[in-house]
Amino acid sequence: MRELATEPSPSTSGVLDPPKTEAGTGNAATPRKRDRKRWGLTVVGSVVALVFLAPYLIMLSGAFKSRQEILKVPPEYLPGDWKFDNFVNMWGTPETPLPDNLLSTVVISLGGTLLALLAALPAAYYTARHSFRLKLPFMLLVLITQMLQPTVLASGLFREFVSLEINDTWLAMILVNAAFNLSFAVWIMHSFFATVPKEIEEAAWLDGCSRGQSMRRIMLPLVWPGIVTAIIFTFIACWNEFAASLILLPTDTNQPLTVALTRFIGQYESAWQYVFAISIIGILPVVALFAMIEKHLVSGLTAGGVK
Amino acid sequence: MATVTFDGASRYYAGTERPAVDQLNLEVEDGEFLVLVGPSGCGKSTTLRMLAGLEGVDEGAIRIGEREVTDLPPKDRDIAMVFQNYALYPHMTVADNIGFHLKIKKVPKAERAERVLEAAKLLDLEQYLDRKPAKLSGGQRQRVAMGRAIVRSPQVFCMDEPLSNLDAKLRVQTRTQIASLQRRLGVTTIYVTHDQTEAMTMGDRVAVLKDGLLQQCDTPIGLFGKPKNLFVAGFIGSPAMNLIPATINGEGAVIGGQSIDLTPAQRSALTGSNVVVGIRPEGWILKPAGEGISATVEVVEELGSDQFLYCSTSAPQLATDDDAGEEAAAPPPITVRAPGMSAFQRGEKVGLVPQPGAVHLFDADSGERLPD
Repeated sequence: MRELATEPSPSTSGVLDPPKTEAGTGNAATPRKRDRKRWGLTVVGSVVALVFLAPYLIMLSGAFKSRQEILKVPPEYLPGDWKFDNFVNMWGTPETPLPDNLLSTVVISLGGTLLALLAALPAAYYTARHSFRLKLPFMLLVLITQMLQPTVLASGLFREFVSLEINDTWLAMILVNAAFNLSFAVWIMHSFFATVPKEIEEAAWLDGCSRGQSMRRIMLPLVWPGIVTAIIFTFIACWNEFAASLILLPTDTNQPLTVALTRFIGQYESAWQYVFAISIIGILPVVALFAMIEKHLVSGLTAGGVK
Repeated sequence: MATVTFDGASRYYAGTERPAVDQLNLEVEDGEFLVLVGPSGCGKSTTLRMLAGLEGVDEGAIRIGEREVTDLPPKDRDIAMVFQNYALYPHMTVADNIGFHLKIKKVPKAERAERVLEAAKLLDLEQYLDRKPAKLSGGQRQRVAMGRAIVRSPQVFCMDEPLSNLDAKLRVQTRTQIASLQRRLGVTTIYVTHDQTEAMTMGDRVAVLKDGLLQQCDTPIGLFGKPKNLFVAGFIGSPAMNLIPATINGEGAVIGGQSIDLTPAQRSALTGSNVVVGIRPEGWILKPAGEGISATVEVVEELGSDQFLYCSTSAPQLATDDDAGEEAAAPPPITVRAPGMSAFQRGEKVGLVPQPGAVHLFDADSGERLPD
């Protein structure tokens, strides 16, 4: 960088001598300062990343240790004996039917996300496009559901599901998860629909589109980042949901991974190696999903505000 | 291509007593270029949106040709519209934008491509067909919006202030392009603008609206030469017509000591003893001080080809609604057109005499034009 900065000085020498030397030193200092700043940011970033990653690294290392090694004092960073079969054995432990639990998590998450989206999409479109009396109170009411914790609602929900005869079923948890995440989905998609000028949709109608066609061909592609954002956040919330499942799903084959995980932590002994291994299986889809849509998500979150 | 008929069409917005469009009766001929013009809030855009089906019709009917379209959804009306903000589909290329209607109508791909290319050639857009709207300039976007309309060969074009987002120079250029394109295609066109110059230069006929009511619909020359009432007289023409209140004295109307004769027809049409005399800036003869209405030049506006003198006189102009809010101390000056590069100076005393035949007379109470 410094070489680059001094290069032009011979060509201009003799024309503007005093300013040239000043400019020369200035040019040389700027890249050095910039370099130093970049290094500083890298170091700070690495430290912050390490702080956040440390629990995951311990989890990863623990998943490959034996039970004895995990409880060893002082602990070791890496497993002495890599126990890869933790990932095989955990599926057949007496504590919980893990394959059923995984299936349960997948079904409840997919079902909850789909239902939340199907309900939120029309609501978001309507509230963004039409003004009606009590629109603001309605939107705030939607938001208020966010304030109610699952633990507050659980006993009421339990009684309701008993009377509906869907107690202890996936359907009940799909309904609960969809309801919990509806308000976020409505609000985020509402803001995206609101950024699309009304005239674009009107142009589509005049171009011969029915309402459905203009929705499918024009509106949905334009609010796609918002939909993706809603899908991801809802899916992750459903995947991680714990409290309501713990209360509403007593049967072990119906329980999701989050609840199943707790069965490995006993009063007298805990199978930490399985807890770690299951946790890794549990977070993999979420991490993969995030990695896949990261670009969409960032552009989505900014597009909503800027346009 | 078809005629367009508004038959007593009205539109009420919720929460307002006065209709946005009030009992509009208007007949647009086949292939005609009709301009709707008026100040903001006069109902011109609502009228256009009613025709396009984007706004409901609360009373009356709208017909395209013989077909009643009052209750048809926009997609079944065979109307193409150019919006003020163009409303291009941001996620589609220029070619897809232009060809979208054809795609919806399931026109075969080859024919579609051909028609899109044809429209693009007409509008000089061939090299931009693969671009997205975000990568185009304002003028290019405007042309894409035009392309989207003309590729369809619809029965009616609706244009809602399509030039208002362009800069002044491009606006004048595009104005002529749109007008000549419309004549070439021969598609019935309804064009909304608030700019009276646009209205006068583009339209076969111009409909002037105010407060949801049609004031006058005539050719540009008709509007300019025989404005039907005080509003049209003040709205059409730039600079605006001088409107001077006068009292009837014997055979004529007196302004600033000058008497203007009234015809018997005019006298019998009068409802009161007051009239308003309208004289356009070019309708004055400039005389030396002492002759005609005595005036003092307050401001000289030199345009090169013309010169406009703003004069204070003993016969002040009618205060218009627009001026009501301002400090009403000084009455609006009288505008006089002089040849370009004339030697008039600020503060100079001149005499003003109305040209024979350049005088418009209006009833001061009703605001209606008195018969000639």
